[in-house]
Amino acid sequence: MSFSTMFSTMGVGMLRTCSIFFLTLLFSLPLGMIVMFLRRSRIKVVQGITKVFIAIMRGTPLMLQLLVWYFGPYYLFGASIRGYRFTAIIIGFSVNYAAYFAEIYRGGIESIPVGQHEAAEVLGYSKSQTFLRIVLPQVVKRIMPSVTNEVITLVKDTSLAFTLAYNEVFSLAKQISASQTSFMPFVIAGVFYFIANYAVAFAMERVEKAFNYYR
Amino acid sequence: MVLEMKNIRKQFDGLEVLKDISFHVDSGEVVSIIGPSGSGKSTLLRCATFLETIDGGEILYMGEHAAHTDASGKAVYVHPKQLHRFRSYCGLVFQQFNLFPHYNVLKNLTDAPIHVQHRSREEAEETAMELLRKMGIADKANAYPYQLSGGQQQRVAIARALAMRPEILYFDEPTSALDPELTGEVLKVIRQLAEEKMTMVVVTHEMPFARAVSNRVIFMDGGVIVEQGHPEAVFGDPEQERTRQFLSNYQR
Ligand SMILES: Nc1ncnc2c1ncn2[C@@H]1O[C@H](COP(=O)(O)OP(=O)(O)O)[C@@H](O)[C@H]1O
Ligand SMILES: [Mg+2]
Repeated sequence: MSFSTMFSTMGVGMLRTCSIFFLTLLFSLPLGMIVMFLRRSRIKVVQGITKVFIAIMRGTPLMLQLLVWYFGPYYLFGASIRGYRFTAIIIGFSVNYAAYFAEIYRGGIESIPVGQHEAAEVLGYSKSQTFLRIVLPQVVKRIMPSVTNEVITLVKDTSLAFTLAYNEVFSLAKQISASQTSFMPFVIAGVFYFIANYAVAFAMERVEKAFNYYR
Repeated sequence: MVLEMKNIRKQFDGLEVLKDISFHVDSGEVVSIIGPSGSGKSTLLRCATFLETIDGGEILYMGEHAAHTDASGKAVYVHPKQLHRFRSYCGLVFQQFNLFPHYNVLKNLTDAPIHVQHRSREEAEETAMELLRKMGIADKANAYPYQLSGGQQQRVAIARALAMRPEILYFDEPTSALDPELTGEVLKVIRQLAEEKMTMVVVTHEMPFARAVSNRVIFMDGGVIVEQGHPEAVFGDPEQERTRQFLSNYQR
């Protein structure tokens, strides 16, 4: 197999990896917001259930969670899981990352001084105005470094999709390497992940800089 | 009468912080509240500005009840919609300024007028600039709070409160977080507001200032008003031994 064939075969895997990455962010970032609100709910039961949920998401391997999301419907309900592989991967990643993002959001919100809420309250801002106009913009700035860490972890975590035999970059590299007895696929995969991480770090740094206009 | 508080009671899990406090503030009056730390001064201002809810008593603004006590002795507030209107009567200046760090000075002053009071941007900005000129910081309109000194930040905070056109302005130790050389510039603008007959209640430890500027002084200790009256009476010849004791800490 020539290098260019190898590269173009793996290119398909790269696109798949990218789609896991972007779809996971697309769903988990807002989903994390919902989980955070539930975690901060004044209703004790809701708060408790959310705590347990977050503990499970963070306390068990993502690899195991992917297997449960994929095979769960079959074992629990006898449902057909044909054509469900990619969906299961996106659900598994999104739900898992939402739990992490929720905790990052929560830390950010709780780090905003109570004086900010009180100043807004006296000025007559409603609860939602206070959140959207005063609290959230400051939270976004504060959590940026933690979010960056999480996003970089996600780039590497996408390789866990191999658990469900999904042919993203990592799985393809393994397969091609075995069939061609070549080390090259691993080098290509490694370079790909490195560049992807570099791009993410670069983009996030730009976003962080955009918030530097205040302290 | 702008504000009337009658028989105010407030406790924090069992600890009685305000014990049957009654006082009022007339239009154009400047009332200073003095007293040792922990005597309930901040709590009283926080109840007056609806940051805390009272357990018993009555709060009236412009003669209208914001809260009263029902037959069972429990404090009852008006509907939240109406409470919003009562809130708009009062402004509060905090010890720690509490400016919005992500907004520049101008936006700190215009955001609430525009988004809470639905005034036009042009009008809000015009009012804001006028206030900043008055506070002597018109050149800082585009600066962010972190770029200002403490004294400048506190003047922005005062301007932000005034931009809402409150009927009464409360100050909770407005100079306590400032370096001594910066307190003067803040006290000066409060004094200027007093001359313009702005209704104000000022919790302060600046005794000469309280004596010079107020129409009335209230001395609080242990959750009660020990003594109140004309500043010359309270400072010059206090009736209560406790007041005398407290004031002696400030005189040499
Ligand atoms: N949110 C709160 N929870 C519990 N105790 C409080 C709270 N706020 C104030 N206190 C207590 O109430 C008392 C009066 O406090 P405060 O009104 O801040 O006094 P001052 O402003 O005169 O120093 C203090 O003993 C303080 O510890
Ligand atoms: Mg206090």
